[in-house]
Amino acid sequence: MKKRIQKILIANRGVPAVRIMHTCRDRKIPTVAVYSTPDRLAHHVFMADEAVHIGEAPPLESYLNMENIIEAALSTGSDAIHPGWGFLAENAEFAQMVIDAGLVWIGPPPDIIRTMGDKIQAKRLAQRANVPTIPGISDVKKIEDIKRWLREEDVQFPIMIKAAAGGGGKGMVKVENEEMLPTAFSQARSEAKKSFGDDTLLVEKYIQRGRHIEVQVVADQYGSVVHLFERECTIQRRNQKIIEEAPSPTLNEDLRTEICFTAVRLMREIGYHSAGTVEFIFDSSTRKFYFLEVNTRLQVEHGITELITGLDIVNIMIDIAEGKPLPFKQLDIYPNRWALEARLNAEDPKTFSPSFGTITRLQVPHGPNVRVASGVNEGDDIPPYYDSLFMLLMTAGANRRDAIRVMDRALGRSLRVEGVKTLQPLLLSIIRHPKFIEGEFSTRFIEEHMEELISMFKERDSEDEVLKIARYVAEVSALGPQQWM
Amino acid sequence: MRNNKNNNDYSSIFVKPGMTPREIVKKVRDLDAVAITSTGMRDAGQSDYKNRLRIHDLATLADHYNRMGLFSAECHGGARWHVGIMNRRESPFEEIEILRERMPNVLLQTLIRETNLWGYRPYPKNVIEYVVQRVDIDVWRCFSFLNDIRNMRAVAEVVMKRGRLFEPAISFTQAEWATNDYYLRVVDEIITLCGGMDEIILCIKDMAGVGSPERIRSLVDAIKQKYPDLVIQYHRHTTDGLALPALLAAAQAGAKILDAQEDSLARFYGQAPILALHAYLEEAGIKVHLNRAEAEEAVQRVREWISHYEWAESPFRGFDHNVTKHRMPGGAFPSSFEQAEKGGFLHLMPEILRVMSLYNRIIKYFDVTPGSQITWVTCSGLVNRYEKEYGRAGVQHLIQLLTKFVEEKNQDFEAMDKEEQEELLQLFRTAPGDFKNLLLGGYGKLPVGWPAEWVYKSTFGDEWKKKLKERKELSPLDSIEEDDLEKHRQNLRDAIGREPTEEEYILYLMHPKDAVDFIQFRERYGEAPLVLPTDVWRQGLRKPGDRVEFELWGKPYSIELVSVGSEHEGLIHVVMRVNNKTRVYTIETPRLKRRVEVRMAKRPNEIGAPINGNVWRIGNPQRGTLNVGDIVHEGEEIANIEAMKMENAIIAPFDAQIVEICVKLNDTVQEGQLLFVLEKIKEKT
Repeated sequence: MKKRIQKILIANRGVPAVRIMHTCRDRKIPTVAVYSTPDRLAHHVFMADEAVHIGEAPPLESYLNMENIIEAALSTGSDAIHPGWGFLAENAEFAQMVIDAGLVWIGPPPDIIRTMGDKIQAKRLAQRANVPTIPGISDVKKIEDIKRWLREEDVQFPIMIKAAAGGGGKGMVKVENEEMLPTAFSQARSEAKKSFGDDTLLVEKYIQRGRHIEVQVVADQYGSVVHLFERECTIQRRNQKIIEEAPSPTLNEDLRTEICFTAVRLMREIGYHSAGTVEFIFDSSTRKFYFLEVNTRLQVEHGITELITGLDIVNIMIDIAEGKPLPFKQLDIYPNRWALEARLNAEDPKTFSPSFGTITRLQVPHGPNVRVASGVNEGDDIPPYYDSLFMLLMTAGANRRDAIRVMDRALGRSLRVEGVKTLQPLLLSIIRHPKFIEGEFSTRFIEEHMEELISMFKERDSEDEVLKIARYVAEVSALGPQQWM
Repeated sequence: MRNNKNNNDYSSIFVKPGMTPREIVKKVRDLDAVAITSTGMRDAGQSDYKNRLRIHDLATLADHYNRMGLFSAECHGGARWHVGIMNRRESPFEEIEILRERMPNVLLQTLIRETNLWGYRPYPKNVIEYVVQRVDIDVWRCFSFLNDIRNMRAVAEVVMKRGRLFEPAISFTQAEWATNDYYLRVVDEIITLCGGMDEIILCIKDMAGVGSPERIRSLVDAIKQKYPDLVIQYHRHTTDGLALPALLAAAQAGAKILDAQEDSLARFYGQAPILALHAYLEEAGIKVHLNRAEAEEAVQRVREWISHYEWAESPFRGFDHNVTKHRMPGGAFPSSFEQAEKGGFLHLMPEILRVMSLYNRIIKYFDVTPGSQITWVTCSGLVNRYEKEYGRAGVQHLIQLLTKFVEEKNQDFEAMDKEEQEELLQLFRTAPGDFKNLLLGGYGKLPVGWPAEWVYKSTFGDEWKKKLKERKELSPLDSIEEDDLEKHRQNLRDAIGREPTEEEYILYLMHPKDAVDFIQFRERYGEAPLVLPTDVWRQGLRKPGDRVEFELWGKPYSIELVSVGSEHEGLIHVVMRVNNKTRVYTIETPRLKRRVEVRMAKRPNEIGAPINGNVWRIGNPQRGTLNVGDIVHEGEEIANIEAMKMENAIIAPFDAQIVEICVKLNDTVQEGQLLFVLEKIKEKT
């Protein structure tokens, strides 16, 4: 099937919507944005050539409202839909609806989304493709199932309960001991139901001090599967990544080759096409890796792979969706730089409590080797209904040290966000932490070092200070001499 | 630079920071002239401008002081510290840093209230030592409002051990009991405490400005007779109008250092004008060590900014020779009148001053901080009480009663009528806590003994005997228990949510509440108090197009007012241009209707929200919705909050009954907001 795409509807908001629109602009493909009521004046709406209101604030009424989105695509004459990440990106039913409506789905085939979205099936397929997997049980219905497994297989706590249909840290609960089990079990089930409409759970052994490594893969509709090397996403808080890098500082050349080809083998086995990621957990003590899941979509952190390879993955996705073959072979891909990504979430950097409100000041970093993907403009609102991620900062350098140095400049001296709290101070203390610089960390890095990281907050700059002075002058100018003077 | 031919003339400098106390004392002894301490940076501003003179303006004098040949610059201490953080929003540490940089030749001097340091209550010994150790001051003038020299020990030890100059002061007043013999006894104690007179300078602190010229001549002479080598400095306020002749008399009797301030700063309650003092002494044949050209320049600098402070001047203008009776110290004048004005009893001031002049003959101590505050609060309280209950006639009656008791009956309680005795016995019943503490020895020994028994009966009623037994004869240094310094630091950490700096911590040790306010102010407004000129600091920018320019951390900045919007529902939008970039500030006016106060969980039986989010379930799937009165068990989920698609279970911390559910389903709650009030179920025995 070969088809030139004329107009793309982006079924998303914020950072992913803006990211996709950039490539569409490069290709001179007109874009259609969709928006919920509180997003009426959001950045992505104005980036697009057209915009359609699809519903009220709650995601189920807007960004998860499949009928309205298809309707929006049809009414604007769009011929393709890109789902971005999050929302409907891994919803097989929606992908099928898009195709059934006669539109191009810019992503993998619906049945692959469905299969890989079911963690139990995905694990089974991985085992069939000879990919190592973590000990665990699937199809957990009640607590007794877990207890029996713990007993029979002689598994020690901690363990991880996950939504079979899950991803992105939602519906995932770590259990430290038997007492925690009942609460954790019901929380995981409820979150699973809420986020994915399916409360099937699976349970796995929790790999202590594990590192999270994933392989970016692109595949065309003609069986050509190429990996774009790995990313390391070990720095997480509450099971959600906040700092990623490519390549991984953990792997040597042998392991790198092995893990990348394992990923390619799996993707070829399942007949994948479009861009996707195979996630692994790497056990530093045994230097073994285990399959976690396949993300059947564009990922938040794809940008650092683009930085080290010079490719545009969204562009490749569109090409593949148009039925074009991959224009390169595995040997054509050789990364020659190091890249870092820091996720700027609107959250309290100490408690991770979400912070919504209006961004009253936004100063974005510039300068050599910095890439910014922002979902917002100064003056925009961060509404409470959606993900707290509003900006990605990426930096590159000839090696890891250089990339960190540039990230320090970007996060420290150049980035200014006011009006909402952000992870900025935490991100900065992480990349300045000696253990991070050495590459010595696990997925528990943040919890292990939290107090130390918080103590490193605080950076003063005359640009910030003068705005405080200006606020004072504004107040006194408006209100006159004050009582306390 | 300013056009000044003496710009590089440092020849007048004779003492400098870094010299040992012994060297400094020797330099002063060897000087063939009288030296000057300038109070322009502290006491002048305290006495006539409520301590509102900002370091931004005072620092313009520094360059001149640096060549003026002063003995020292009093720039620190007294109430300047407290007013600094409360009203000017400057820290005394910042002031020291600025002055050190701009006048490295000048000895920086503070005024410290023995165990009360720069606060208003006696601090325990470990606080005193901790603080005095960490403040970078060269000359430590230390006074006791009781002349209880024992109270100076901790400060003296730390200062002398640090190699800084200790300057003990005797509090001076003119009263029948304040004789030369009395003061000589105080000086004896000082010499004993300080181990001689080669490393100290003695100050005679005439804080109200009441010493008549001949009285001062006699006192200085008496001290010099007994201790010819002791270097004496005379500090005097001008309140009675006799400062210049009194200063001359002191110098003629042998005082080597006199306090003065810029003539252009001089009003009524501060120190003598420096240029006039210089001319007057020289005419009388006493050499004054002063680079007069620089002093003239400094006087001129003051004229350039003093008009910004008219609002801060005392509403009670003019010299007041009656100060010799009521003895209100210069440093307390503006603040007392300010309080009277704010409290709406300015019209009672003459009566209050009259009551003070009778009160201080009944209870004898020196009217200087914290004594002056005790006098003021007690006497103004008395007068206000009588006015409230009996009107102006009542106030007159109070004065007549006290006048009769003090002046006619010579304080013979038994000589008063029965009815009058009864009234006196009620007089101090509502006196402030500090007054009671004073009577019980909380500040130290009173200079000429404890007040008469009836004062205790009047203050404590039936409990007076018991209280009398509790009266301490020890110095507070020996009777006050040490503070837990680490606990104070933790409290401050909790209050500001971060690790405090050492300076912030010391501010907090002196004035806990005001220090926290100050720190929060500065976190919000940065260095505004340091960089803004005084008119902008006080008034803001007046009209569109007005701008203020300054340097911050070595870079130029400009803030320009574009427009001030009209008020709408308690908000005003102000458009500013900050280095040419437009910014809009939303300002809340006092008329802003506050949103309904959110109740926060505070006690252990109150369950708060762990995060900002949405309450999507009250109860749990097993039991369904929970209601008031339901019993919940430890570990049971009682509600769930969702934020950005993550669930957070609220768990009952113990077996309990639900007393109140403070939120509704689907409410948006903020972190810490009260969700449940529980009552713990007691285990059955």
